[in-house]
Amino acid sequence: MILEPIAPEWPVVKGDYVVGTPDSRVAVVTLASTIEPYLKASIWGSCKTENLGVEKIVANMISNSNIRYIIICGGESRGHLAGQTLVALHQNGIDERGRIIGSSGAIPFIENIPEDAIDHFQRQIQLIEHIGLTDIEQIHQLVDEYRNKGSIHDEEPMVVGAAKKKHTISDKPVSGDIMISDDFMIDALSGVVYAEECI
Amino acid sequence: MFRFQKEQEIVNVAGVKIGGQPGELPTALAGTIFYNNHKIVEDEVAGVFDRNAAETLVNVQETNSDETGNPHLIHIFGMTQKSICNYIDFIVNITDAPFLIDSPEASVRMHALEHVTNIGLADKTVYNSINMSITDEECEALKQSDVDSSILLGFNAMDSSLQGRMALLENGGGVMECGLLDIAQKCGIANILIDPSIVPLGNGAGIALRMTLVAKAKWGYPVGSGIHNAPSAWNWLKAKRKDDPLIYRMCDIGSTCLQQAAAGDFVLYGPIENAPYTFPLAAMGDIMMSEASADLDIEPSASHPINILV
Repeated sequence: MILEPIAPEWPVVKGDYVVGTPDSRVAVVTLASTIEPYLKASIWGSCKTENLGVEKIVANMISNSNIRYIIICGGESRGHLAGQTLVALHQNGIDERGRIIGSSGAIPFIENIPEDAIDHFQRQIQLIEHIGLTDIEQIHQLVDEYRNKGSIHDEEPMVVGAAKKKHTISDKPVSGDIMISDDFMIDALSGVVYAEECI
Repeated sequence: MFRFQKEQEIVNVAGVKIGGQPGELPTALAGTIFYNNHKIVEDEVAGVFDRNAAETLVNVQETNSDETGNPHLIHIFGMTQKSICNYIDFIVNITDAPFLIDSPEASVRMHALEHVTNIGLADKTVYNSINMSITDEECEALKQSDVDSSILLGFNAMDSSLQGRMALLENGGGVMECGLLDIAQKCGIANILIDPSIVPLGNGAGIALRMTLVAKAKWGYPVGSGIHNAPSAWNWLKAKRKDDPLIYRMCDIGSTCLQQAAAGDFVLYGPIENAPYTFPLAAMGDIMMSEASADLDIEPSASHPINILV
């Protein structure tokens, strides 16, 4: 049994969504459509991109163990195919280069989510695929069908996010390739402004 | 403001010059028409639209361009093969300005390449874009076309850092077998325009500004972006829009100046309806940049806003 099914400050990643009932079993992704939210879902939002958008969904799902189902509805974003990509990620995961296996989206890569988070997502979530569905009544019916279904996922919520990438700045310029004045230069790669005498 | 040691390329697309040292040429501005949910579009699949309204929008952008000296391009966005051809045919009949062809669907972009080649207007066309999703089929379509101008998009979905984006262009960054610069060359692209790619605020939008400097310093190609996509995707700002739409518009349009201050050569400023606000703003930015570079032996062009408006 898990002690706390929801990570502190859930949802952990900001996005184009509305929080409804956090302990509901179902979340709704409306893809490229804007559909009035039904607050009996745990979280309700859009997803237009096959990379950053999909990553945000994974991060916000696995940090709330109450959620067991995602209803994917609304119109697909052309070219990006975020809905199809989410389904592919759930079914197949990613390859060694971070590409979502089986996605037909334009640039379906995962950068900020570790592979164990995707495994967690696959174990925790069941997708209810209704890509193209925009009828509010039907979506509400689906939410009502799944919002109390099943039990809490039996793993602690997992919090992931993009690691801050720190780079060491050299105090020695590589080159002064942008001139600011007779006395100062910028080394474009390091982004540091130098007195010309240092170069 | 500053001067690059590396010689800066100036590309010429159907008479529109883009690039150079900061303060040398006015910023080229591209307004988007027929975009997703554009109210003048009646049928995005068939490409049916309000022709009078579209002509007015293009004329307004052209008038603003004439007034400030900032050259303009038309950023044509189409969802289907049929619609993008309709849009192109319409635009080339009402303006001599160069245009970008853009679609989220590669098949639509490829069809547009074939169309502009067939109607003899490839020299006015900028392909948007060569990016990490490019396929052999799309490369072949570019090779077979007469289009020789393209944006190269530095979006690296596996490594969004400055280094990752630069590597994608230079050597493929481990994602592709070769860099986008090599691909462009193989596809016959002579006029290279680099777009560092704008991701949402919080995901590294600002890296594009840094990459503008680094790409110009390293390669000398013109660099610019659709920087307004950062504020327009900002949820906090979208909520503020409900209180006062002007707050949203200020951030959306004002972001143009940030790209200019980071030595950008062109800006895809978003909805063409914003032309009356974007051109004066960009002209002001250009004048500031030119004055900031005055003692760096950079001469503004005759058509620069500093030589027209002050």
